[in-house]
Amino acid sequence: MSTLQAEQLYKVFGRRPDDAVRRLEGGADRDELRADGTTAAVIDASFTVEPGEIFVVMGLSGSGKSTLLRMLNGLLEPTSGRVLYDGQDLTGLSPRELRAVRSTKISMVFQHFALFPHRSVLENAAYGLEVQGVPRAEREKRAAEALELTGLAGWGDSWPDELSGGMQQRVGLARALATDADLLLMDESFSALDPLIRRDMQDQLLELQKRLKKTIVFITHDLNEAMRLGDSIAVMRDGRIVQLGSAEDILLTPANDYVASFIQDVDRSRVLTALSVMTEPHRPDAGSCDCESVSADTSVADLCAVAARVPHPVAVKDSDGSLLGVVPQERLIAFLGDDQRGPVACSMQEVARA
Amino acid sequence: MPRLPLGEWVDSAVTFLQNHLSWLFDAITKVVNGMYDGIDAVLSAPHPLLFAGILAVVAWWLRGLVAGVLAFGGFALIDSIELWDEAMSTLSLVLVATVVTLVLAVPLGIWSSRSKTVSAISRPVLDFMQTMPAMVYLIPGIIFFGVGVVPGIIATIVFSLPPGVRMTELGIRQVDPELVEAAEAFGTTPRNTLLRVQLPLALPTIMAGVNQVIMLGLSMVVIAGMVGGGGLGGAVYRAIGNVDIGLGFEAGVSIVILAMYLDRMTGALGRQVSPVGRRALARARTSGAKLWNHRPQPAVAVVGVVVLALVAGGMGMFGSSSTATASGADNVGKGKKVSVGYIPWDEGIASTFLWKELLERRGYKVDTKQYEAGALYTGMAGGQIDFETDSWLPVTHATYWQKYHDKLEDLGSWYGPTSLELSVPSYMKGIDSLEDLKGKSGQFKGRIIGIEPSAGMMGLLKDKVLKEYGLDGEYKVVDGSTPSMLAELKRAYAKKEPIAVTLWSPHWAYSTYDLKKLKDPKGTWGKGDGVHTLARKGFSGDNPKVGEWLKNFKMTEQQLTGLEAKIQSTGKGKEQQAVRAWLDDNPGLADKWTPVGK
Repeated sequence: MSTLQAEQLYKVFGRRPDDAVRRLEGGADRDELRADGTTAAVIDASFTVEPGEIFVVMGLSGSGKSTLLRMLNGLLEPTSGRVLYDGQDLTGLSPRELRAVRSTKISMVFQHFALFPHRSVLENAAYGLEVQGVPRAEREKRAAEALELTGLAGWGDSWPDELSGGMQQRVGLARALATDADLLLMDESFSALDPLIRRDMQDQLLELQKRLKKTIVFITHDLNEAMRLGDSIAVMRDGRIVQLGSAEDILLTPANDYVASFIQDVDRSRVLTALSVMTEPHRPDAGSCDCESVSADTSVADLCAVAARVPHPVAVKDSDGSLLGVVPQERLIAFLGDDQRGPVACSMQEVARA
Repeated sequence: MPRLPLGEWVDSAVTFLQNHLSWLFDAITKVVNGMYDGIDAVLSAPHPLLFAGILAVVAWWLRGLVAGVLAFGGFALIDSIELWDEAMSTLSLVLVATVVTLVLAVPLGIWSSRSKTVSAISRPVLDFMQTMPAMVYLIPGIIFFGVGVVPGIIATIVFSLPPGVRMTELGIRQVDPELVEAAEAFGTTPRNTLLRVQLPLALPTIMAGVNQVIMLGLSMVVIAGMVGGGGLGGAVYRAIGNVDIGLGFEAGVSIVILAMYLDRMTGALGRQVSPVGRRALARARTSGAKLWNHRPQPAVAVVGVVVLALVAGGMGMFGSSSTATASGADNVGKGKKVSVGYIPWDEGIASTFLWKELLERRGYKVDTKQYEAGALYTGMAGGQIDFETDSWLPVTHATYWQKYHDKLEDLGSWYGPTSLELSVPSYMKGIDSLEDLKGKSGQFKGRIIGIEPSAGMMGLLKDKVLKEYGLDGEYKVVDGSTPSMLAELKRAYAKKEPIAVTLWSPHWAYSTYDLKKLKDPKGTWGKGDGVHTLARKGFSGDNPKVGEWLKNFKMTEQQLTGLEAKIQSTGKGKEQQAVRAWLDDNPGLADKWTPVGK
């Protein structure tokens, strides 16, 4: 398993890009460059993706996320900076070597599926293997396996335009999986699907990921999707990564107002877990009763249901039953209301007690 | 504004190219001629109806039973109106031009689609090629490639290249960029991206381009006919030259049949070869298989074509060995080829077919072709045409003679003197002389119906005759063509309308209509010409007997008008039959004109 590392990546379109990078490093901002007719698409992006991790790059259109993705497999050459994968500096490779890396180690899933309309579903799924030069019988066998993996067993002889959008993207996914590449680049792969199908596909991706343990870089403009899928998330704005962290990091401590405004609409109760809400036990014997308890990764939404049934703060326990902390009901409510302050005393004791 | 000597530059460029690159032009001529002859030999070898059958099977395979039946009907029609050979040579011409065009256009289109610079440079060049009137580069084409099919093919290529390049470029550029990116993302080489993704997906558009190339090629066929391209274009050109509406229509319809066949077949082929189109077809086939939509499997079609082709080949071998006419002492020529060119003027047609018949009786193989005057002289100077019989010298054709005399041989005048004149119908009372035209322009609406503006007599009329009689302010000479002048004369004569036309003697119009030659008391038309036979330099050296016959050839006015009238009454397209009949009516003339030394 190998790590993907981006080091200070810059991509500038237009005239004299190297000058532009120097100016950006010297503190110039994007608008100044735009006045000169050059566009800085990605500015100083650095991150590390651990093996087996889903790394989500989140940003609105024009934030540079697709450009960033295309630098990771060399479809676009970085103006400056390095991409390291599997111990290789991809930016230093010749076109031929780069093609070899793309055909064996990195595959890609596209926003609009990008299936070849003149090839059958099986031939599409086998495309990467065909490029590698795998003999026909073997590549068809492996393509059929990949199709089975994405739930399309038996559809091999159909044609792409006979399939629904969700099924087409499963073919796209099968095509990417068939090559056995460890790194999967997914460019807004579920954005073109309708919400129900999108959810299905997200579930299926998570399911597959549990079994296959690929390293995935996933691009999206949908924060809910980012939160659902991402082990870690990079939020991009105007070509820069403005925050890098786990879903909870971003929800709990947004780096700036932009990120804060972004996360307003997120369903916090589904993203936050007991681990991030719990506090020190309120008394030493907490959790020793027979009441229901929860695990650390229980979502706040599920926690609420338990809290309604338990007459005292809910105990959070790890897998072997030892106490990690407790979640008092009022703290739960405060979290949902996005307010970290504790309860204040009421001036009328009777009202409070009632 | 100073006058930019653009024309002079072009002239000197043409001369330069002619002097320094003739080896290249000769090589191109050889290759293109070889291709044309090869394809033409194959296409015209089988019996017409068998070949029509082959074409019909192809149509059946590509489009269905109805298309097959219609195709057979169409080609049978061409055969029945006796234009089969012409149609096949036109088809060969179009095929050669199409193949060469595609060999050039597709790579160029691919290159343009991959490079903005190439695209930006090629666009104005293609515009230039497509819109420059063909005649402008046809004549230089004759200088470079000689008269015949080659300049016609070259002109067709020049004319039909642009859509081929443009549609290829468009087709490739239209391929979804995400698909190209997907191919690259999986490590496909640029070459394979082109071959496996871009070209297959661009194929329907490219095939539409091929279709355009073929259609434009067919539309150039008529123009190619003017420079000796032969085929249906030649037939059309000959027909309009003779105001032969019937033959014109027949040849025109044949072109239409060819065009429709090629159009429908390339359209269907486009669907057959593109994977996406083939799939749509397969779906249509399973949904509604009717008898009239029935299409045989490719294997069945191929077997059908091969069987018919084998039969055709066999027939061709048996059917092509019985054309010799001369024998024994008469066989002077021993199959030697002689090519005769002519301009569709009546004395030219009469004397040309007379000599075709005379020489064939003496064992020569004579090939006659009609040309536009400029093309005829250029072709003869270049050595592709052996001789022609209709040069009016020293006056009317003086410009051509001056330009080419060092590359031509004058074999002497066989008829004379001729005269040029203005003529009016005899129902125009009171107009007997050029002087009488003065003040009468109201009657003629101020018009004198002329012929080709390039004709020598037109210059003479405008610059000298009208001025001398003080008519130049009153009358306007209408430029046109000999056929249009004759058509106008026919129309006005039928309605007894006033008309004045430029005419010359000898001319069959004088025996067909009752006309008056306007007297020329001031002698402005000059003395009459002799009708000369001109040959390429060295012709009489190569063919001493023919040279001697042509030099001694003389015709009287009675003989010439008699022959012309015979040709007129026999009907268009049967000139040689008329000549035979006339020779039968005038026994002894053939031996007198072409004596065989004993």
